[in-house]
Amino acid sequence: MTTTVPPPMKSLERRNSARALGQTRPDPAMAHVLDVEHVKIAIRGRTIIDGMSFWVPKGEFVCLCGPNGAGKSTLLKAIMGLVPITSGRITIRGEEVAAGHRHVGYVPQRKGFDRDFPARAVDLIVAALRGKWPAHIRDDEREHARRALAKIGGERLLDKPLAGLSGGETQRVFLARALITEPSLLIFDEPTAGVDARGRAELIELMMQISRSDELAAILVTHNLAAVAATAERIVYIEAGQLLCWGLPEELLGQRSLTALAAFQATDHHAAAADEE
Amino acid sequence: MIHFFADPLHFAFMQRALVAGLAVAAVCAVIGVFIVQRGLAFLGDGLAHAAFGGIAIGLFLGASVEHAVWIAIPFTAAVALGIGFVLRRTSLRGDVATGVFFSFSFALGVLFLGLRTASDRQIDVESLLFGNMLAVAPEVLEVVVAVAVLALVLTVALWSRLAYAIFDPELAAISGVPVAVLEYLLLAETAVVVVVAVKTVGVVLVSSFVVIPAATARLVGSTLARATALALAIGMLGAAVGLFVSFHLDTPTAATIILIHCAGFATALAWSRLRR
Repeated sequence: MTTTVPPPMKSLERRNSARALGQTRPDPAMAHVLDVEHVKIAIRGRTIIDGMSFWVPKGEFVCLCGPNGAGKSTLLKAIMGLVPITSGRITIRGEEVAAGHRHVGYVPQRKGFDRDFPARAVDLIVAALRGKWPAHIRDDEREHARRALAKIGGERLLDKPLAGLSGGETQRVFLARALITEPSLLIFDEPTAGVDARGRAELIELMMQISRSDELAAILVTHNLAAVAATAERIVYIEAGQLLCWGLPEELLGQRSLTALAAFQATDHHAAAADEE
Repeated sequence: MIHFFADPLHFAFMQRALVAGLAVAAVCAVIGVFIVQRGLAFLGDGLAHAAFGGIAIGLFLGASVEHAVWIAIPFTAAVALGIGFVLRRTSLRGDVATGVFFSFSFALGVLFLGLRTASDRQIDVESLLFGNMLAVAPEVLEVVVAVAVLALVLTVALWSRLAYAIFDPELAAISGVPVAVLEYLLLAETAVVVVVAVKTVGVVLVSSFVVIPAATARLVGSTLARATALALAIGMLGAAVGLFVSFHLDTPTAATIILIHCAGFATALAWSRLRR
């Protein structure tokens, strides 16, 4: 079966299409987990993020979308305190990033770590607890790691070498790692990249469970529209460092914006395919 | 059997060689675990040749071989930091960055040795290249042991953070590990260790002390902590056994130690394949 993908729209058309949409923002009365306020980030004189503002309430699952080079990774890094912001403010549970980043759990791309490193799942999870790599693991830490893996159905992975895990199993371990510090905000950075079809389905199912939580807020960056459709409670769409859409999936995944998102997917088709190889 | 080990130790030069060999082997093996894991196995070689360049500059400036080390240390550390800078700021791989600095430093060494005049102090280039563990002077031994102990203490103290930074720099940075500082520190520390080790095992063979015990340990160690402990044991055992074998067979010491280390690597390789 072949899928007909609409031809990519020009950037201006996409922007106009996005601006015309109704965009429902979160209820201001809800507790804020993440606040991004008028944030500008310039690196070596080049503006990457330009005056961006949005916020994520407690328990909401947000999908951060946009083409390659839109500034998604830079924004994530700023939220985690890895990139300084030029102006504006980012707070997590009301605390500046320097202190607030401890409330963030991060699930990185699978390809980010040294796959040749002699490590077991338990080492990685305990490293998140300690903030440094463990030479020796205490019984209580091991039990803590086992419980974190058990919660997401990965208990059997505890002593497995990371190098021998499938893509889906690896991401399950990274998810347990992110959850063990009991974060208020989970960040998924292309978690399905490099994961086979079965692993992707399992991961999306896990993310769906998280999206049903009323406690844990999450931001998912992905090229995988199935993941967006399954999890998104709200969508933030950015392009060229600017926020273009911030609203409910039914608004942004409606007739008109579906065209925009399909065009975005077509634009990034090659990058996504390369990621998933 | 006891005579195999006890007889050589009647000689003071063998006692000094044993202490120097154990110190160099221990510190090189522990640092080597991180160097090998970081994919910089070629670094030891590159820095040893940079040390040669630094010593040659010192000799050109009129220093003795012993005192030229004090010029070689900052020179080699600067080369190590240069390699680190290229690694972090460009997309070039570690072997390429090391290769460029290796060539530059060695060429500089050859150039400065060539610029010396006939009236300059005579030097034994062969002992500089291949080292002579049996000729370690007491004052050199003090420097070797002091540097080895300091470097070991520093590496053990930073072990957990270094390991995290090498596993995944981004995750480590999120946890507050100063990844860039640690990487530069590891490179500078390796430079100092290599320069001092060159005094005992020579320019050509020093990288083997860094790479082979660590690579052997990686084949059999299931975690980085176990690999580190194994590398330390393998490095020191190989150095001791190689020293005594070389005494009894009258063979070059550093080369014998390295061949013992290679035999250990081959055994570990066979064992790891059988275990699969």
